[in-house]
Amino acid sequence: MAQYLPIVIMLVLGALFASGSFVASGLFAPRRPHRAKSAPYECGIVPRTELAERFPVRFYLVAMIFIIFDIEIIFLYPFAAAAGELGTFGVVEIATFALVVFIAFAYLVANGALSWGPKRGSSAPSGMGHIDLKELTALMVRGGHD
Amino acid sequence: MGSDPLLAGHIGWVVVLIVVIKVIVAFIAMMVSVLLAIWIERKVISDMQNRIGPNRAGPFGLLQSLADGIKLFFKEDLIPERSDKFIFKLAPYLSVIPAFLTFTLVPVGGIVHIFGHTTELQVADPPIGILLLLAMSSISVYGVMLAGWSSGSKYPLIGSVRASAQMISYEAAMGLSIASVVLLTGSLSTRDMVTQQLGTFFGFIPHWNIIRLGVIPFLVFIIAITAEVNRPPFDLVEAEQELVGGFHTEYSSIRFALFYLAEYMNTITMSAIMVTMFFGGPDGPDPSFLHWLWPIVWFIVKTAVFFFIYVWFRAALPRLRYDQLMDLGWKVLIPVMLVWLLVVAAMRVSRPLGFAMVGLGIVGGLLLYRAIAVGRDRSTARELARPARAELEPPRERREDHGDS
Repeated sequence: MAQYLPIVIMLVLGALFASGSFVASGLFAPRRPHRAKSAPYECGIVPRTELAERFPVRFYLVAMIFIIFDIEIIFLYPFAAAAGELGTFGVVEIATFALVVFIAFAYLVANGALSWGPKRGSSAPSGMGHIDLKELTALMVRGGHD
Repeated sequence: MGSDPLLAGHIGWVVVLIVVIKVIVAFIAMMVSVLLAIWIERKVISDMQNRIGPNRAGPFGLLQSLADGIKLFFKEDLIPERSDKFIFKLAPYLSVIPAFLTFTLVPVGGIVHIFGHTTELQVADPPIGILLLLAMSSISVYGVMLAGWSSGSKYPLIGSVRASAQMISYEAAMGLSIASVVLLTGSLSTRDMVTQQLGTFFGFIPHWNIIRLGVIPFLVFIIAITAEVNRPPFDLVEAEQELVGGFHTEYSSIRFALFYLAEYMNTITMSAIMVTMFFGGPDGPDPSFLHWLWPIVWFIVKTAVFFFIYVWFRAALPRLRYDQLMDLGWKVLIPVMLVWLLVVAAMRVSRPLGFAMVGLGIVGGLLLYRAIAVGRDRSTARELARPARAELEPPRERREDHGDS
């Protein structure tokens, strides 16, 4: 374990540096709190709604698919480090393994699990048509104090 | 297996002292090179855009980044009221400490004798070697993710979710590309990677991994780490037009400075890792005097070249769209690198097996091409079916009030 000594020392030094910077900043920095400063940044508009905690489910999909590949990579590393001794057997073995993962991947792709962007050939969603621009502008100018 | 001869035997106080000196020197070198890197980046980009760039602080504006850093100490440190305070304060640590730790792996020079001890010119050479890099780059995803999530604001949240999806996607490609180097080296240690690349083919072509592996793993690696450290053209994390500042929108003062520092440190470290893995690290022509110095010089020159390439990317390439980014990562880099890795593994065993693997790779590629087309058709069909379904179903009641009333 002695080989990890420099890493531990670097860890301590890095943590000291980061916390030291915070202490220094606490000493030097001015403290003039204001409600507008601690409000969430919304390009100058006063925030009116609660934070939306929702985001597209695709991000979760990516995270799950990533786990598949990460596991594959984890298994690839021992093979890569010992490929010299394993010879033909190792290569056939790892190719079979990669094939199984690849078929799962091809299935995911064929289901559109990794298709993101604008769909080709589709028209704009019909939900946008009803917005009255004049009403919207009036609403924004009033700033919601109605 | 990698191991520093300094730490192999009995560890006395002299050894500890040498280790501490090495760590502190690396730390200071890292800080100075970040300051220089920011200056170089601003100068080079301003040159490419016909501007002058920073030129007030110090000769040629050299001290500009130092001045900026000092200024940030005197700025008010804001914590948004809706934030999760503990995680908000934790995130910069999670971002900056992995950046420091990754650099310990890089072999900077050859082997030297100091105070009667023999040591490698690199901070640490653990047996797990390059796995530490993968671990640290995974932890820095936490830094970005938690920073955005804990801010309690919409732009950082979206930026961090994007960032983490992007970083884990390209981490897979990066891992495969590193695996190909490990395959050739037969060891995870970065020092072994460098010693394996010494020597030449036919006396003049360097025996570097970029030539031994073919260029593909290098290309995959440079693209993957550009996305991994969120540099342009993959900087969707901080796409100003859409997301203000991305995950660090709510950060100010020294907390912001630490994120900035971590970003540049990661860029430099990744350039250095690239040099280590594909360009022989400190390998280079060695005139017969000052033996210990030349490897360091070659290492710094090569790393600087790659840092310049990053800056060049930023000046020359437009930012990708998010779907293009994800498609490039998942549907191009990962399959190509997987096939290439298997072909390299098979070619090392025997030629027939290697060509069989090439054939298998081509079949797999065609299959994937078809799968992508099918997937696109299916999601288009789903999208087209949506208005039709909306007509069949009764519309939901639309709420008339707007938010807070």
